[in-house]
Amino acid sequence: MSLPRSARLVAPLAIVIAASLAACASPAAGSGEGQRIDGGTIVYAPQQEPACVFGGWIEQAYISYNVLDSLVSLDENSQVVPWLAEKWEESDDGLSWTFTLKDGVGFTDGTPVNAEAVAYNFDYWVTGGNSTARVWLFGYYESAEVVDDLTVRINLSAPYPRLADNLTQGYFGIQSKDALETRSDEDNCSAPIGSGAFIVEEWNRGQNLVLVRNENYTSWPANALHEGPAYVEKVDWRFVADATTRVAALQSSEVDAIYDVPAVQWKTLDDGGYELERYVTAGRPQQLSFNTQIGPFTDERVRQAFAYSLDREQIVETIGQGVIPFEGNGGVSQSTPGYSQAAADRYTYDPEKAAELLDEAGWQLNADGVREKDGETLEVVLPYGAGSIVNADGAAILQGVKEQAEQVGFVVDLIPVPQAELFAGAYSTAEERDIAVGYWTAVTSGILYINWRPSTPESPNYSNQAFYDDEELGQLILDANSAADLDTQNELYQQAQEYIADHALAIGVYARLSTLAVAPNLHDVWQEHAQGGPTFYDAYLTE
Amino acid sequence: MTPTSPSSTPRAIALQVLHKLGTALSVLIGAVTVAFFAQTALPGNRATAILNIRAGQAVQRTPEELAQINQQYGLERPLVVQYLDYLVGALRGDFGHSYQQYRPVAEIIGEQLGATVVLALTAIVIAWILMVVWVTLTAGRGPRVGAIGSLVDVTAAALPAYWLGIILLLVFALGLRLFPVIGGTGPAGLVLPALTLAIPLAGFLAQATRTEFERALDQPFVISARMRGQGDLGVRLGHVLRHAILPAITLTGWALGATLSGAVVVESIFSRPGIGQVLVTAVNSQDLPIVVGIVVLISAFYVLANLLVDIAYTIVDPRLKGAAS
Repeated sequence: MSLPRSARLVAPLAIVIAASLAACASPAAGSGEGQRIDGGTIVYAPQQEPACVFGGWIEQAYISYNVLDSLVSLDENSQVVPWLAEKWEESDDGLSWTFTLKDGVGFTDGTPVNAEAVAYNFDYWVTGGNSTARVWLFGYYESAEVVDDLTVRINLSAPYPRLADNLTQGYFGIQSKDALETRSDEDNCSAPIGSGAFIVEEWNRGQNLVLVRNENYTSWPANALHEGPAYVEKVDWRFVADATTRVAALQSSEVDAIYDVPAVQWKTLDDGGYELERYVTAGRPQQLSFNTQIGPFTDERVRQAFAYSLDREQIVETIGQGVIPFEGNGGVSQSTPGYSQAAADRYTYDPEKAAELLDEAGWQLNADGVREKDGETLEVVLPYGAGSIVNADGAAILQGVKEQAEQVGFVVDLIPVPQAELFAGAYSTAEERDIAVGYWTAVTSGILYINWRPSTPESPNYSNQAFYDDEELGQLILDANSAADLDTQNELYQQAQEYIADHALAIGVYARLSTLAVAPNLHDVWQEHAQGGPTFYDAYLTE
Repeated sequence: MTPTSPSSTPRAIALQVLHKLGTALSVLIGAVTVAFFAQTALPGNRATAILNIRAGQAVQRTPEELAQINQQYGLERPLVVQYLDYLVGALRGDFGHSYQQYRPVAEIIGEQLGATVVLALTAIVIAWILMVVWVTLTAGRGPRVGAIGSLVDVTAAALPAYWLGIILLLVFALGLRLFPVIGGTGPAGLVLPALTLAIPLAGFLAQATRTEFERALDQPFVISARMRGQGDLGVRLGHVLRHAILPAITLTGWALGATLSGAVVVESIFSRPGIGQVLVTAVNSQDLPIVVGIVVLISAFYVLANLLVDIAYTIVDPRLKGAAS
């Protein structure tokens, strides 16, 4: 949520005061583990309140992950482990996956978690139930078939060996078929029915969402720390939009854990004895994609010059204070399987090289220090979703990008776009922008398919933000997606990233983080490994 | 404000009431119209916004995807038809359903309204107390005290709500632990948010009152009151204040609307529920039914506030009462 200008100016002052008050405000730390509390309520303060519990947005996946079980879970070694599915098998031709469900699991409305329900959920997602689940299944999913009561077969149009990995994301939470069919949209939005460790008890809009323990929970994932129902009785999911308030609420013991810890408060909280958790989300990092269809960046040399003009690592280090990780790779982030370090290292700060490339491309420096060609200045439009896709730290980093690119003669129109406009389609076409900024969390390098699949008239791909409709890159990614052998797959994904880097189609800036700060009396909150959301199933409080 | 008829027959009063209601209704219809067309005139496409907000991705959408949403919400119809449809619904009290929450707008606003109204009214009461105490103590006490008094007025009036809120939060909630950091809806949680709104408002009110107050102090009735032996404080509270607060009453009518619509910053800092927060979210996601619903509500409050100001005038200034009846 963006704040008024005055707010940004006073924020540093507020932080100084917060830091000085924190000394007297932080609870006694390091006193060891106290008496374990039976039950109790965890008060957790995230930043954003979504419109519905379940949906295609990561903030929704974070909540629904505690309410809905998925077929499979991802453990800390990025291995897919059983959850609702006890085992699964890919057919020899790779065109169908058979999931065998645990027996005796029920949704919290009393209906059984069976093959019929799972198959129904797949069709529900691809017909609009979850647009993010849908893009992941796009191009591969054919149908879901009930084999017997506990066996469901997913038929694909082409092999996709990492299907199970992708299904660990919160967008694939399984809901009661009966609830989806018979209840109102409103009810399914505010309190979806799953078989998860918690049930939505009430949603006081604008304040909090209360989750209550599912006393009959039987379907914990294989990577959970314990068995049986959750330890705590309730989780009070309390929406606190303001970062300063979140930190203050944690320091005054009003909440037990907070999400999205501001970089400047990291050290204060660490010194105060709070447990800090940081998860670098895999998938597309926060990156810059160049418009390869219209404008100056249609010339590869100009794209490369832009990349060489930036000391991205220094900018991220300065703004991120060591908390935000630099990410040079424009395809996927460092925590993604199949990551290419070579692609990340492709461009380092080299303004001379940038100048040379621009000269070669015919863009000459004029008296004002701006490049010109045929009477046109080298002006590029860089819109970004202020407060929605790019947070305050990210906006500061983009400002650094603008300043450095202008040193070699670019003119960068850095345009903060309000969420209302951006999401309504402003700056979404090739005519409107030269550079696009954005991230997309994922579990595998399969995200490359979403972001780089070539557009065709029959099947446009608007997530291809570079508008780069290239068969060679597209084929590399398709081959990688379907490669049966993991090493071959990683090799192909790496080639795709290197292709993106060599042609300077996109360059990375920083990796997206999911951060938590947890009070000393709350234990075993873990960030699930698919997307970094907080998991409260194993968590317990002590005195 | 100006009475239309000098007579006070029941018929005339009824006509007057009807006239007021008619004016109020036309103001509200005007608000619906402006809000509706302003929302639809926003750049971009509403169906795209609906889909993108649900997905958390800002991308273009395919015609098939858009067609489904357009059909569901009737967005493919001519704008005038959509508007008339909405207006007819609104007159029947049906403000439509939120695109994102799938719930009736009246329900969404209804559950948030109480918290915001309580906050706004409390803030106004506190602002009045602060203002009356401060002006009574400092106005007309010679140039030095007067200068300090008006400096404080101006400073308070100019305090940005976000800054003030954060300072109050850090000092009184986090540092001194007198109030909760996360306000919630309880009385303890109301103090700091209300103060955040009240302090700048008190500054505004004091600025308006101070000049009148000092002018009234020079009036003959003040001298005669003093000659009757009334103490200074008694004169100030009993005679001068009454003359000085008319501008502040007018401002309060404005403040009631302004605090409602300006509550969003305070709601954000203190994590209070309220319509400010709902409005910002709705504007951000182009959730038109909610935006228009809240705009209508705020206009209704302005209308109501103006009515209350009219009444307050006649109570404070008996000359107007004579004119009105």
